[in-house]
Parts: sequence; structure tokens; C-alpha cells
Amino acid sequence: MKLITSLPLIEILILFISAFLMPFVRKNKNIKIVSVTALTFSFILSVVIVINVLQNGAFYFNTGYIDTILGIQLYIGPVESLLNSLFLFVIILVACFSFFTIDSEIRENRIKLFYIMVNLLSASILGVIFTNDIFNGYVFIEVAALTSCGIVVVKETQDNIKAALKYLIMSTIGSGLILMGIAFIYSFTGHLNIDLIHQAILEDYTQYQKALLITIALFTSGLGVKSAMFPLHTWLPDAHSTAPTASSALLSAIVLKPFAFFLIKIMYRMIGFDLVNQFNIITIILTLGCCGMLFGSLAAIFQKNIKRLIAYSSIAQMGYIFFGIGLGSPFGAAIAVYHMIGHAVTKSALFMCSGLMIEKTGYKTIDNYKGLGHEMPITFALFTLGAFSMIGIPIFPGFISKWYLSIECIHLNQLLLIFVVLASSLLNAVYYFPIIINGFFGIENLKNKEYHSKKVETQKLLPIAALILAMVLLGAFSKNILDFISPELH
Amino acid sequence: MALFHNYYDSASIVLFGIGLATLMLNKNLIKKIIGMNIMDTSVFLFLVSKGYIAGRNAPIITDRYEGVTAYVNPIPSALILTGIVVAVSVTAFLLALTIKLYETYGTVDLEEILKVKGDDHEVNNQSSLD
Repeated sequence: MKLITSLPLIEILILFISAFLMPFVRKNKNIKIVSVTALTFSFILSVVIVINVLQNGAFYFNTGYIDTILGIQLYIGPVESLLNSLFLFVIILVACFSFFTIDSEIRENRIKLFYIMVNLLSASILGVIFTNDIFNGYVFIEVAALTSCGIVVVKETQDNIKAALKYLIMSTIGSGLILMGIAFIYSFTGHLNIDLIHQAILEDYTQYQKALLITIALFTSGLGVKSAMFPLHTWLPDAHSTAPTASSALLSAIVLKPFAFFLIKIMYRMIGFDLVNQFNIITIILTLGCCGMLFGSLAAIFQKNIKRLIAYSSIAQMGYIFFGIGLGSPFGAAIAVYHMIGHAVTKSALFMCSGLMIEKTGYKTIDNYKGLGHEMPITFALFTLGAFSMIGIPIFPGFISKWYLSIECIHLNQLLLIFVVLASSLLNAVYYFPIIINGFFGIENLKNKEYHSKKVETQKLLPIAALILAMVLLGAFSKNILDFISPELH
Repeated sequence: MALFHNYYDSASIVLFGIGLATLMLNKNLIKKIIGMNIMDTSVFLFLVSKGYIAGRNAPIITDRYEGVTAYVNPIPSALILTGIVVAVSVTAFLLALTIKLYETYGTVDLEEILKVKGDDHEVNNQSSLD
């Protein structure tokens, strides 16, 4: 029993230690093996944690001290365990994909650094998910910010450095705001542990209503910058579109989510549903989520570059997550978490497909992909399935989160919001369908063109196929997953 | 007045504003980095002043234990130490990126840099099928 509760820490340590051992490995090939071995070990442990949570329920782990006031505490509930294992699953598949593509995208002496960054990033993401101590969360958020900038800038083109600098400056603003929020909450509760803060707030929040309001505002804007909430998203399209394909897949699919999840923790576990609903900030989050859903899709329609298009689509999808958080109900938060999972699996597959298309055609613009469905049938079919989930075709996870969001809007008597969900889905269709239709039916483009073999190697397609399969399964078992995570958030 | 009574808090909020404004509004990258440092320092001042009570000592017991009223809470100082380390590493990374940017663009003015169309866009138009 003792060993099982310390598994989360072991999981994080395996990734950190493997990252710090990598500089001593000489060959690039061995680096890749070390990286994916560490990730796989962590993934196996995470599956053990999920099984344990299923059997025995949520548990705490105290590092160092038994007394919770002194030590850093980890909390592992159903949501944490599920997010943890699914994120690791996606990271492993992206890492496997990067084995075959990263060599052509970055310089040879940078490959080692890339995998060090990937392992550090995964460790810090797990830390943000597990931690029950806000200052510890801040430290992990900083590590994640630095390493995610690292995997962007590893390509070292002119645009790339510019995008990374923009990203880093924006995320330092975010961290500054988060740190100020922590300082505020510490000054009037005297605790850093989320549960203890919750008790302290319940006891005497009436004296500190304004301070509490400022704290929530600071956390929302700080974490909003990092997870690309609508008006604070400006760094995202540049950073995600100029990075190497594997990095874009990781950034868009994984790195945005833990910060949004941390916001859920702050809102609902630290402050509590009843109290949060008294402040207007929850309405602001809902409004910004709606704006993000609409604006992200509108901006994506005008994009020529496929990676930029998918990056803007990420902003729209993050809008759905903030929409779910902003509904201010436990089920809304549960759908936000489900959408994080569904989007993580889908968006990484989409980015990897687009990476393959760019690699094989040599073009980044969508106009050149006419008729490509005949030349790269499997890649394009996988892309189509992913796009279907984004648009919200039934069975796929994208549909399920939109469906439940609409139902929750009806429950909360906010019928106007359903139109926002509908409009956003239609806009999604507006920019994904032309790519698919031109890809499969734009045959006239193939005339007078010399045929070049665009056969994609099987090992590059396997990770994408696995992700799409996982996506379909997530959609099929959505009921079980929502049952698993929603009681936690009540 | 409460504003002058809590002069540490007031000063740190003013500093935070100055830092944030410098970070957001200045076009020069070096000044932006300085602004980020001012912003972080203001948070350190805010938090470390919470751990300061006039006349009390750090909780280090040398000769004899003088009772709980003689010592201050050491946690804010410990947090600030961590915060300083984080701020230093972020500053180092930002400066390194600025050097790289200066090498490729020849300027640290963000407005000038944003005018330049990067090489990534050119790859788009030039590359062909063969």
C-alpha cells in the first residue's frame, strides 16, 4: 500500500532522472531509446495508478513529512490518474513518431537536447497535474514553460526564434500573475496546500471578499495566458506553427491542458463551486470561452498554412474547455476534462498527419493539397477521421463533448449558449471540409503533373493510427469515462 | 490611511505595475527583460514582507528557545528563494534567445524584427515538388 501511494512521485522522478542522465549518452539513437523507455515505464506505473484509483478511490501522498502543513502533498483522484495516463500515452506515440521525422527537421547536435526537453516537459506536466500545493504547482509550471520554449526553439530558423521569444515573454507575464496570486492567497489564508486553503477560505472569506476576487482574477489571467484563453492567445499560432512537427503535436495536444486543469483545481477544489459562482469572473471565463470558440474558428478559415490552421483550431478547442469551466457546474468541469482528453488525442494525430503532408509534398499551403488523398490515401484518411472529431460528427469525442455541453446549457437554462456551440461547430466544418473534399475529389489538379512516389513509411503511420484508434475508443466509452471523472468534481 | 500604513504592499503593487507596463509596452527586448525582473522582484517584496515582523528573529535557536513570539514564519523567505532561482533561469533563457535573435536580425527592437518576413514563409513559396 505504501509503495502504491508513492508511485506518482516515482513516475515524475523516473522522467527527471532519465532527462539528466541523457547528456552522458553519446549516440543519438541511444538517446531516443532512453527517452522512450523512461516514458514507457512511467506509462506502466500510471496504468497501475488508474487501476488502484478504480479499486480504492482517491489517495494523497505526502513527501517528507506526515504533517500536511510542512510537506508538499500530491493528490491523485480519478481525473488526475486518467489525465496522467492518457497524456503519457500521447507523449509516447509522439516520441515514437519523432524518431523518424526529427532528424530531417533539426540539426544533428540538437537531437539530444530535444529529447532531454521532452522528458523534462512530461515530468513537469505530471507534476502540475498531481500537485496539491500551489507553490509547487508554480515551480512545475515554470519548468514546463521553459522546456516548451526549448522544444520550439530547437529548430533555430529566423521565424522560430522570434516565435519562441514571443512565447517566453507571454508566459513570463503569466507566471508573474500566478506568483502574485499565490502571494495574495498566502497572505490571507496562511497556507499553500489546496485543501487547507479551502478550509481557511470557508471559515472567514467574508472578511476578504475583495482579496479573493483579485486572487481569482490573477490566477485566471495568469493561467489563461499559458493555456491560450481568447484575448491572451497571440503567442500560440506562431509558436505552434514554426516548431518541428513533433513539438507542435506535443504543444498543442498536451502542454495547453495542464494549465487549464490547474485552473479547474484552483476554482473548484481550492475555492469551491458555491463561492466561485458568487463572483462575476466565472461569467467572464464563459464569455471568453465563447469568443475563443468563434474567433479561433473564424481566424482559421483565412489561414493558408496548414499548421497555422490547426494551431488556430486549437484556440477554438481551448475555448470549449473554458466554456465548460465557465458554466460553473460540476458536470461542466467534467466535460471540460473530457474535452481535454479527446482533444489531446485528436490534435496530436492531426499535427502529425499535417507534418507528413508537408514532408512528402514540400508545401505548407493548403492549395497544394488538392488530390493528395489519392497520393497519400492512409495519411489523408486518418486526417479526415481526426477532422471529423474536431467538427463533431457522432461517435467521435468532439461530438460527445459538444453534445453534453449543450445538454448542460439546457440544464442551466442558458439556451443562447447552444447557438454558440452550434455556430462554432459549423465554422469548424467550414475550414476542415474544404481540405478533405479537395484532397479526395480535387483530381483535376493531378493532371499534367509528374507522379512522385509519396508512399509513407509504415512506422510513421503506426503512431497516428494508434492515436485515431484511441480517439474512437474514447468516443465509444465516453459514458464510462464521464462516470469515472464526474463524481470527483462534485 | 491603509494605503500608507501597508507601505510594503503599496510599493510592491506599484512596482508590479511598472514592471508589467515595461514588459508589455516597451519595444526594446532588453528593456522588456528588465521589466520582467522588476515584476518578479515586486512579488518577492510583497511575499517577503508578509514574513517580516519588526523585532522578531529568524527561527534559528542558538542558546535557548525564546518562545513562539520571538520568531517569524520562515516559509515566505523559503518561497522567495525558489522564486529567485526561477526568475534567474527565465532571465538567462530570455537573454540567450535575445542574443540569437540579434545574430539573425541585427537588432533588438521588436518592431523592426516583426517587420522582417522570416525565412519560414519563404520556404513556403520557393520549395517545389522536385
